[in-house]
Order: sequence, then structure tokens, then C-alpha cells
Amino acid sequence: MKIVIGGAGAVGTHLALLLSKEKQDIVLIDEDLEHLRKLGSNFDIMVLNASPSSIDAQKKAGVANADLFVGVTPDESKNMACCMIASNLGCKKTVARIDNYEYLAPKNAEFFRHLGINTLVYPEMLAAREISNAVRNTWIRQWWEVGSGDLVMIGVKMRKGSTILNTPLKNLGGSELPYHIVAIKRGDETIIPNGNDQILELDLVYFMANKKDLPEIRRVCGKEQYPEIKKILIMGGGRIAVRTMDLIPNHVQVTIIEKDEKRCQKLTELLAKKNNVLIVHGDGRNLDMLEEVNIQKVQAFIALTGSAETNVLACLSALKSGVVKTVAQVENTEYMKMAEDLDIGTIINKKNIAAGSIYQRLLAADVTNMKTLELANADVAELTVGPDAKITQKMVKDLGLPKGIAIGGLVRNGVGMHVQGNTRIQEGDHVVIFCMSDMIKSLEKYF
Amino acid sequence: MINKALIFRIMGSLILIEAGLLVLSLCIGLLYQEYDISAFLYTSLIAATIGLTLRFMGRKAENRMSRRDGYIVVASAWTVFSIIGMLPYMLSGFIPNLADAFFETMSGFTATGATILDNIEDGGHGLLFWRSMTQWVGGLGIVFFTIAILPIFGLGEVKLFAAEATGPTHDKLHPRISTTAQRIWTVYSGLTLLCTALLMLGGMDWYDAICHSLTCTATGGFSNYQDSIAHFHSAYIEYVIIIFMFICSINFTLIYQCFFQGHLTRFWKDTELKWFTIIVGGAAVLCGFTLYSPSYDVELSLEESFRQSLFQVVSVVSTTGYATADYNLWPHVTWSVLCLLMFMGGCAGSTVGGFKAIRIVMLSKLSYNEFKHILHPNSVLPVRINDHVIDSGMRSTLIAFFYIYIITVIIGTILFNFMGLAFSESIGVSLSCVSNVGPAFGEFGPAFSWSHLPDAGKFLASFLMLIGRLEIFSVLLLFTPQFWRNR
Repeated sequence: MKIVIGGAGAVGTHLALLLSKEKQDIVLIDEDLEHLRKLGSNFDIMVLNASPSSIDAQKKAGVANADLFVGVTPDESKNMACCMIASNLGCKKTVARIDNYEYLAPKNAEFFRHLGINTLVYPEMLAAREISNAVRNTWIRQWWEVGSGDLVMIGVKMRKGSTILNTPLKNLGGSELPYHIVAIKRGDETIIPNGNDQILELDLVYFMANKKDLPEIRRVCGKEQYPEIKKILIMGGGRIAVRTMDLIPNHVQVTIIEKDEKRCQKLTELLAKKNNVLIVHGDGRNLDMLEEVNIQKVQAFIALTGSAETNVLACLSALKSGVVKTVAQVENTEYMKMAEDLDIGTIINKKNIAAGSIYQRLLAADVTNMKTLELANADVAELTVGPDAKITQKMVKDLGLPKGIAIGGLVRNGVGMHVQGNTRIQEGDHVVIFCMSDMIKSLEKYF
Repeated sequence: MINKALIFRIMGSLILIEAGLLVLSLCIGLLYQEYDISAFLYTSLIAATIGLTLRFMGRKAENRMSRRDGYIVVASAWTVFSIIGMLPYMLSGFIPNLADAFFETMSGFTATGATILDNIEDGGHGLLFWRSMTQWVGGLGIVFFTIAILPIFGLGEVKLFAAEATGPTHDKLHPRISTTAQRIWTVYSGLTLLCTALLMLGGMDWYDAICHSLTCTATGGFSNYQDSIAHFHSAYIEYVIIIFMFICSINFTLIYQCFFQGHLTRFWKDTELKWFTIIVGGAAVLCGFTLYSPSYDVELSLEESFRQSLFQVVSVVSTTGYATADYNLWPHVTWSVLCLLMFMGGCAGSTVGGFKAIRIVMLSKLSYNEFKHILHPNSVLPVRINDHVIDSGMRSTLIAFFYIYIITVIIGTILFNFMGLAFSESIGVSLSCVSNVGPAFGEFGPAFSWSHLPDAGKFLASFLMLIGRLEIFSVLLLFTPQFWRNR
């Protein structure tokens, strides 16, 4: 598949490298030679130093016979212009990164398709969705809904008090269990466990389960004392904060601390319809300020300023003040590992989320939903089983799936179920696969 | 950290490919039923064993290649290929001396074309085919050859390509390096077949035609005869070879774009090609007139003098090294011209060695800008090649390369001088090796073989050929302490 990416910023670069590992043909266009210098001679992609919105440059990049054009420059109008040019030159599909919430409305989709832009990606919106999932279930680090939403995959940090620690998985109850443990992340290592593996303290464990069984998982993880979220403090009133407000239920009280007075004014306008929000002008790093907004009464602290350092530090001091759930926006990829080690609950990286979301659209058509788990170095894919697929011919344990791939669960006729060794997968099932990064292509032959 | 297992695995695959090529030569040997059969049989078995052992040692390799690994693979690939490639010569007794055999093979793989043989015609058909084959494979690069036919390396190809490719910029024809390599090799193979066909039309038998087109398109210069192309006494064959030597000095990426993608205009607009054509044309005319003028004591017709001049000029500038005349007997003014052409070589991205025309273009423009800069100290003066501005990073690389190229030639000259060569011969041999040309001047000219070089000199010459072929940095890098420091 030939893919042209316009804009070699963080999202474009991340995406190009992800895709080049998938053996796709990638052309990356950027005006700034500095962005491209190291890429072309280190990775198997072609770089072109020109403006992505130049017709000539797009022709040179071979957009005419490309399968996809991705516009991810910092400027949304430029992205849309690039996509329009690309689709008029003959590119099959286009994706543009945008900053305007209005454009995402379903009624405008036809309008944009008419212009030649097939898909719009709004990273702030995707980030807001992650945040709201994170604060709704405080004891869960990562949350992913599958298909109809009946089946979920969750990541939970194991602490003392859990009843499933230090026991080989096969002794936990086998097929009677209401959940399936698909992966364990221990330190830097991700393990796809078998029956002999054990869960240790401080592991991040990924469970696949039906939604109704979540309380059971919560119990075995020893997380029952985690309180419900009633009050949230958000530091930094940027676009992600505004989008997050759309997704937070009305009964939750939210305080937003914003440093810039003008932005505060603007926020009051933007959030005029919300009556559960209080906007405070001040610096979230200031401890007196935090006392003033009653941080002891807050269950979740979300740091969304532009500076990763500020966000991480603020989250640490919030943890000290007794906040249960912290969320930090960390845009430097190098800091993500560090932030995780510092025990920040959930880490939001807008660029990774955006790249992951675009990536999922590119994978083979039968991958209906796809998410890269940044923390676990692994991918989760949801696939629909086609007729006569190889995977339907044997029981799961006899398939000889490559190491590093686990089938988490499946949704059959709208009913979620988890998969055992004896399960036989049928045509039309939605299967959830958990696999180590780079393995996803080897799955294709099974479907 | 150097990823030893991965290096073993890649080297294993490379050596298996060489084993395949040896088997091909074995087939030629079997066809003619000559004394070289057992030599090829044993060498292929040795190569296959080494290859499989290395593959086995590297079977658990982690698929992660650093830049260091890339440079190690490329430098060791060329060395190991030469060591294995010399075995047929030694085992068959055709070239019994180690230094001679190594020199001949390195001269083959680097497409230099200098030979130590005084009895080429005694070689079996298999051996001479192998000799031509080494040049053909080395012409575009051993690793590049492998990338095109085996998708073995996973993510490492780009780093290997960067370590082996010649020229200041590396154009890609396609986002994937393996596809780029396949396209370039298609052009290369196509040219070779065309050349074979045209040579056969000129009356060569199929065996000579294949061997000569292999070394002609590789701009290598090995011939099956002691008196090189002059052996055939055919103006037609000489013209065919002139044309193919010239075509193979042009950037292969450009050839592909023009003839396979239909951008014919690029051919006329390409700065490097324009300069290259003008320089070659100018040199040929200058030498032609010198030969035709009464100052040259051999009577030649106008056509003959220009054919001789054109052949020698193109042969030298394309770093091939075929000969139809001994330029040592020419008026001395032609020597300095040929010497400069030897230094320059052809266009980047072709099979040619030397400093490369594009770098000459860049240096000329850069130096011209300096003059303007003195008059207008605040002016901003870009160096443009095909409408692309050469940025400052590339400029300093260029100047460093120029310096190190000259220094390498000078050090080579001094060392050859120590070994007892005359001054002009030392310069000639050193320059000829680093630029991968083949013949030099004086007793190392086109009329002589290099067999009277001392053994140490043969190894030095082999080393100079290798660093010249890999554009110096790639090899010398391995001798810097920073490279081996664990960081």
C-alpha cells in the first residue's frame, strides 16, 4: 500500500515509522529539511523536501497512485487543502488532522467527502475520550471497549491486597473464571502469559472480560476501596480540557485552573452551558492555590498544560495531597516511560493517540478497530472473521498461533465471551487479538 | 552495542550468494571441461559451509541494526568476498601467489580492472568468467546486489545502503529500498544483455561477448585478452564499448527515471550529466587533435585518432581501464588530462569510481561563490544542483571528502615510493587504485600488467581499491577509536 504523509511533525514521523515497519511504501513530505534529515537515511521511507500543499510536490511524491494521503501539518487549513489536492490528483483516500470540533459533526461528513477529505482526525477529541474513560473507572489504568461494548479490555496495576498475586494462572480457576488475562507488563517487558506464569506485585495486568464481571475483577485486584469520582480538578484549560468537559457527566463537579486570564474568560464562554464547572484563574503548581480549591476533596487530578514537566510534577504533588487518580498529558515521548515509573495513573500523549488512530484506518480492511497500547509495547486489534478463514478450521489451542499473540475474547451475535483453548471460532465473530508490536501483519493469514 | 548475531546472519546470507555465483562459474567450467572444475567445486563447498555456519550462529539474532553494524557488514562483506573469491585462482594453480590472487579478486570486486596476469589466455573459461563476474557483482555493490534479490535484512537495508552507496546524495526511486535496488538492477541487467547482443553482432563469440559486457557495464575493465579490446581489431566493437562505458557512467536512477518513467527531459536538464558530457567531450577533442597533429609521430587518420582518443578518454573517465592504444606513447599533454579524468570519474549512483562529477560541480560552484563573497560579504549565495540547494552540512562533508581523498592518494603515493616505484608511477598507481581505474602510467600503463609490484604493494593497492570503492569514510570509519567505543 502506498501512503503519502504531509507534515513530518511528531504525528507524521511517528506514523511513518509505525507504517514502515509494516512494510508499507511511505513518502513523507515536509518543508523543513531539519525534520527530514535523519529520517530518510535511517528508515525505509522516502522523504521529499517540499511544501505538502504544493501540487508539483504531490505529483513528485506519486500521490496519483497512492492509496492514502495523510495531512498532519500543524495547520488544519493546510491539511485540508493538501487532502483536496491529493484526492483531485487521484489519491484513493485522504485523512486530515483538524482543530475544529464543528467539522466532526456527522452532518458535515458528506460535505467534506465532497471536498475530497474522507476522514477527519481530531487528536484533542481522542485524548478527551481517553481521559474520560480513565476518570470514570479510577482503579483502571487503561480501558478499551470492544465491538458493541459488551466486552472490555482493561489494564490494572496490581498492589498488595490483590488475591491473585503469586499464583500460577492455571491454579486460579481455569475456564470457570469470568475474565481472561491476556498480557502482563512487568518493568519494560510485556508477557503474553501461559498457565505457569504468575502475577507479581506492581505488574500491570490486562484483563479481558464482560462488563458485568468488572466488579469481580475489581474485587480480586483488591481495588474495592477506590472511591467514586465526584470532584475533578483540571489544570490547564486548553482544547483537550474543553473537549473533556463534553464527556464528563453532569453530576461530577469540575474545577479548571488556568494561568492565562484571557483564556479563563474564553473558557467561561466556551463552557457557558455547563453548570458543573468552576473556572479559577491561577497557577496549578502553587500549593496555596491547590488548598484554595480544596484539593483534599478531589478524587481525580488531570494535568493538561503544555509542559510535560509541569504536568508530571503537579500530579506528584496531587498524589501527596491524597488524590486517588492522576492523569498527565506528556507530549515528549522520552518522558512517557519516566512518568509511568513515577506512578502517574494515566498518561495522555496526543500525538501517539492521533498516530494510532490514523494507523488503525490503514490496516487491512477487516481490522475494524485497533489501538496501540503505548505503555505495553503491544497492539490490540479487533477483527471480523471472514468466510473460510483459517482461524475457523481448528480449535484455538490447535491453531499454532505464533508466540506473542493471544486471543482475548470474541463477540458472537452481540454477546461477548472470552476464549478458551477449546473454543472454536466461527465465521462472523468479532475477535479481539492482543499481540506484541510488529506481529499484527502475521495475523492476516488467519483471517 | 554491536549486534554480532545479526552481522553473522547477514554475512552468512551474503556468502551463500557468493556460493551461488561460484556454482554458476562451475557450470561454465563443466561446459568446457577444463582444469578449473575442481577448484570451483571446492570453493563453492567452502563458501556454502561458511555461509551456513554463519547463518546458524546468527539464527537467534535480534532484528535491530545500528549504523555501526551497517558499516561493519559492508566493509567485512567486501573483504570476505575477496578472500573467498580468490580461492578458485589459487586452488586451480592459475595464480599460485596469495598476494597476486587477493589483488586480482579485489581488483575484480571493486571493478578496478588492474591485473597482475601476464598470461590471461591460459585461464580456463570458468576462471575468466568468474573474473568478469566479480566485476559485474561489485560494480553496483555486493550488498546492494543482495538487497535486490533477497529481502533478508528486515529493517537494516537502509543503513547498509547508506554505507555502500556512492555519491554525496542518495536518491531513492521508490519508498522501499529493496524495490529501488530491484529497479536499478533491472536497468543494469538490461544494459548488460543489450551490450552482449551488440558485441555478438560485431563478431565476438558468445563467451567473449558475455565476459566483456559484464566488465564493460560494471566499468571494471577486465578483458579475456592480454591486449584488451585492441585484440578484436574492430571499430564497431570499440564504438559499442565506448557507448556502454559512457552510459554506465551515468546515474542509474536518472536512467531509470528517463526510460522507464518517461521523464526524458530530465536527461537534458540534469546538471551533473551536462557537466560530465562537456568535460568528457572536451577532453576527447583535445586528445584527438593532439593525436592527429604532426607533433605525434604515428600517422593516424582523423577517424582513427578521434576513435583512439575517445576510447581512452571514456575508458579512463568511466574508470573502466580497457585499452585500444597505449597512452604512455602519446604526447605528454594528454597525460595530465587523463590524470585529471582519473581523479574525477563518472557520475554518482553509477558503477564508476573516482571523486564523482557531481562533487566537482559542487566544488566549482562553491569556489566561484567565494569570489562573489569577497566582493559582497553579506550576500547569501546558495549552491544549487538541479534546483536543490546544497545545505551547509552537506558542504562541509563535501570539503572533508575532498581533503581526505587527496590525502589518501598522497599517502598512497608516498608508500609506493618507499617500495621503490618511480615518482610518476607512484602517483599513477595510487590514484588509479583509489579511483578504481585500472591502468596507471609508465610501467603500470595499459600495456603492462602490475605483476612486478612487490607483494606489500599489492596488498596496499588492494586496500586502496577497497577504500576508494566504498568512498573512504565507510572503511576508514572502522579505524577510528570512536567507532569501537561502547557508546
